[in-house]
Amino acid sequence: MPIKTLEVIRKRLEDRPAELNKLRENGQKVVGWTGYNVPEEIIHALGFIPIRIAIGGDDRLVEVGGRYASSKNCVFIREIVGAFSENEDPYIQQTDILAFDATCLQNFRAAEVIEYYFKKDVIVLGVPRNFYWEEGKEYFGKEADEFTRLLEERAGVSLDLTKLGESVALYNDIRKTLKSIYSFQAAKDNVISWVEVFDLIQAGDLLDKKEYLALLHQTLAELQALQHNPVIEVDGNDARIFISGSLIPRGDRKLINIITSVGGRIVGDDIWTGILPHLDLDIKEISPAGVALAYLNRTPHAALPYLDLESDRRLKKLHELLAEFKAQGVIYHTLRYCDPFTFKAKETKDVLAKSAIPVLEIHTEYAGSDYEALRTRLEAFVEMIKIKAESAAEVTV
Amino acid sequence: MANTDLYEYPPELREEFEATEAIQFRDGSSATAADVWHFMTEIAPKRYPFAYTQKKYAGVRLSRDIHLPSAIKNHYLLLTMNDRITKSRENGAPVIFVQGGQSVDPYYAAGGIALRPASVGLWARGRHEGLGLNEEVVRQHKQKEKAYHAISFEACQTAGYENIQEGGLPIDMVAPFTCLRCSDISYGVEAHRHGPNKAVKLMNIDYPMRHQADKKWAVEYFAQNLRRLTNEIGKLAGRDVTDDDLSKEIRLHNEGRRLAIETAELWWSADLPPTNGVDRRSLYQMGGMEVHGDPSASLTVLRESHAYIKERVKKGIKAEGVVDKPIRLFVCGSCVFPNDFRIEEAGAIIVGQDNHWSDISTLVEEDGDPYQNLAHAILSYPYEQSVELRAAWTIEQLKKSRADGVLFLYQWGCNTQSAIARMLCDTIKRDTGIPTMIIEQHEGGSEQSEQLLNRVNAFIEML
Amino acid sequence: MSLKRNFFAGVDVGSLAAKAVILEDGKVFATGLVPSGFDSVESGLNALNLALETAGLKKEDLTYIVGTGYGRVSAPYANKAVTEITCHAKGANFLHPTVRTIIDMGGQDCKAIRIDEDGAVVDFAMNDKCAAGTGRFLEVMAGVFKVKLEDLGALSLSATELVPMSSTCTVFAESETISLVARGEKPANILNGIHHAIANRISGLFARVGITSDVFFSGGVAKNNGMKTAIEEALKVTIVKPEIDPQLIGALGAAVLARNFSKKEGLWS
Repeated sequence: MPIKTLEVIRKRLEDRPAELNKLRENGQKVVGWTGYNVPEEIIHALGFIPIRIAIGGDDRLVEVGGRYASSKNCVFIREIVGAFSENEDPYIQQTDILAFDATCLQNFRAAEVIEYYFKKDVIVLGVPRNFYWEEGKEYFGKEADEFTRLLEERAGVSLDLTKLGESVALYNDIRKTLKSIYSFQAAKDNVISWVEVFDLIQAGDLLDKKEYLALLHQTLAELQALQHNPVIEVDGNDARIFISGSLIPRGDRKLINIITSVGGRIVGDDIWTGILPHLDLDIKEISPAGVALAYLNRTPHAALPYLDLESDRRLKKLHELLAEFKAQGVIYHTLRYCDPFTFKAKETKDVLAKSAIPVLEIHTEYAGSDYEALRTRLEAFVEMIKIKAESAAEVTV
Repeated sequence: MANTDLYEYPPELREEFEATEAIQFRDGSSATAADVWHFMTEIAPKRYPFAYTQKKYAGVRLSRDIHLPSAIKNHYLLLTMNDRITKSRENGAPVIFVQGGQSVDPYYAAGGIALRPASVGLWARGRHEGLGLNEEVVRQHKQKEKAYHAISFEACQTAGYENIQEGGLPIDMVAPFTCLRCSDISYGVEAHRHGPNKAVKLMNIDYPMRHQADKKWAVEYFAQNLRRLTNEIGKLAGRDVTDDDLSKEIRLHNEGRRLAIETAELWWSADLPPTNGVDRRSLYQMGGMEVHGDPSASLTVLRESHAYIKERVKKGIKAEGVVDKPIRLFVCGSCVFPNDFRIEEAGAIIVGQDNHWSDISTLVEEDGDPYQNLAHAILSYPYEQSVELRAAWTIEQLKKSRADGVLFLYQWGCNTQSAIARMLCDTIKRDTGIPTMIIEQHEGGSEQSEQLLNRVNAFIEML
Repeated sequence: MSLKRNFFAGVDVGSLAAKAVILEDGKVFATGLVPSGFDSVESGLNALNLALETAGLKKEDLTYIVGTGYGRVSAPYANKAVTEITCHAKGANFLHPTVRTIIDMGGQDCKAIRIDEDGAVVDFAMNDKCAAGTGRFLEVMAGVFKVKLEDLGALSLSATELVPMSSTCTVFAESETISLVARGEKPANILNGIHHAIANRISGLFARVGITSDVFFSGGVAKNNGMKTAIEEALKVTIVKPEIDPQLIGALGAAVLARNFSKKEGLWS
């Protein structure tokens, strides 16, 4: 049974660019942000409209972006640069100020290229590589203060901590609700798919936050009415797939479509555009530094190096999520020249092999030319999981 | 029977060379010019025949400017890398892998030896004797491929993984400045965590980004990184590192930097190029005092060479093999440079590069807290600033070196320099009208393809 | 007891060749191999018809057909489609039950497959868009040296030296090769370098999936002895001698699966 609120959200997304245009005509400013550690609550509390810049899947824009950056930058970054060059995306058109962070250095370079060629007003938040050191955290706190100061200059107001507290409460509620909804997609006899939840998460990048929260509550209520007690367990017919690795932004559906078309069922992810950034964000102090540090203390982005394998929180979280969602295999997806994830592909595979979790590496870009090649790999992987499950079932019987 | 394919230093040069200065090493020992001559003419051709190749297309060949003592001494220091580093390490000096384009003062202040990627490669190369050029290149490729297997074939910088994890090279610590000029390096450091060599210590010296030198907190943070670094190296070396140790090292390295700047200014002022491109580059590089794994050795050779360059410039002596009025090229980008020999055959010469020169030409304040001073200097490297600031500095170097054109080269897989290339070249063209050309290098090894060299030659012809 | 003979076919349509194998119980009964054309359905049928003709059978005599390879997505003649990864595993296991690792180098991709004692896939990895190690890559190289594709391996084995090749990307390797030819390097030595560079790159796939003896080399490139030697050197393994044309292994595996599926579906007992 379709979830009615999802249809409402789709409609609201269609209307949103025109709505943003109107709001801007009335004096509001849109901050387009990208970066794993950008503390969005600060942008929101200063009265800006935050819009996440995360688009992908368009090989033409990748080509255009490569002319300004280079063909050796990841396809996501190239597409972002290409999108600013073409200025056809309805959300990119509405951005007044850009807020980037230096978590991924290619993201940082994209900020410079966009600033240089397209004369955009860009604010950059520095991010420490030694993020687990006290000194690194202190540096990041100061960067957050500077980030806030630069935003305040553009907002023409100082940050009101009461408003920041309200934004934090709003965002916390969004995160909590998303997490509740997410568990429904992985359940036996699920009434909502992972793809639908994935779209729902990404809708939050664009919609008004208060309205988004209300729609999330409405979605959750619908789900609870349809499935009172979702139970996550392996069903004999499924090949339960978990997606890890590079981000999959709005517009990029290639991998997801192929997985589902060859009979795989996606039940979880730890990607930057999925559920991961919404997990484990614990804001202990209502201040720019307090909010920013909570972002830094989440499961870190792969661009931030962890020098000790045993204590790596990314891998720990991956194991936790695989267990929670009872995944039978991991698709480790990397975009061309996305080094943070690509460089760790073999290692991740080796680590998961110790837990007998099969991993398929998929290295791709936005061009459709490798569609059949990917299909073969993914189909074989799904076949492998199903054969393995069948043999296990036969042995059990 | 002598291998006629290998270069031989003319025996009649011996007397002249042996009259030149000895190389003084950091441990107090020295190598006389006679020692150097003996090694380079009797020992090295047998142990390292690849270095003596006369192949026309090989990019790395011995300099033929035999009357410049630094040319032979530089090669001597490069070919004795394995002997020297192995000995120093056995005597208790920890060896640390660092990044190219960074200063190494704190590593030596703490009693360590800092080797950048190319130097680590040279050390590893020295452990394989008797190889001809092709065999040596095949060995390197096979070794590098192992790093690609463990990391990714899209990796440009593998942080020495192939030698440290796969080649058994006894590096004690991997601790480069990260984010500096390259985005691969921190992932390369991280990759070591799953390699078989668990003994190697890992550390990222975290280089903050964006207006970093103007932010007190960024300077403070980087200074804290440097303190942690010297502390960790001190532990490996078995000593406490004082502020005074760092101050002394900064003064020593400033001498190298100043000498390199003076040498460059002399070189650039000359009507006729006083050295060929290969020797020019090695002279400037010695000012960074990291290239030979022994700052004292680099410094003694640089001091002596400086006097030779001064003399040549004063007397209008031109380097052998260089045309009278060559087209002057300045190279931007990182990690790669075009084949100097082929460029000079085409009637041009490389007069400078921004890579490495950025850190070598940045002096460090000597009074006050050495960590703060060093941090501030390092965060001020012009190569690491916003593109407008980097371009302004590059233009200054272009003017000083009287460059006719700019080649921007980057290695395949380099995310950072490739993204900056167009912006930097567009700014240079906009502000100076100097022609620029961007080239991506796909090949490793000793030779560059005709395709790449054709482009360079066409650019030279255009100029 | 049924006296009816049961024939099972596997049809593997790849980018350069279409292959068919007809199996009668535990034996290879007939095979067919034709170059692939633009129409993958027609290519598959041509291979199948050739095998049928050799066997003196009609299509109606076949109990079950499994399609595999890139052409499996449009194989109306097949009862079922299975990926070539699963098929190569089954095919190698059928011929050599002790095989645990397969290197498959076909027209447009290269696979490292690890299998268990039943011929089930345990793990696999494939090259990405890089064409190193594929039949297509070697075709380009044969074009550069103006020799027949099948002569490349022997030429490389006649080398007196190994010329280093730094690039395994088809486009860059082609320009690097042209540079080397222009500089007077001997074709055999360059080819030796190319084969070793490919073998080293391919061995990266095994860094992902591991390698356990026995090792089998399948696909069209497996007929190239120069490549076989280079791979043996790079992986430090001995490759088992195939009992049939290694290019037919995918089709053979498909035929084995056809036999299994049809039994499961109760078409014979």
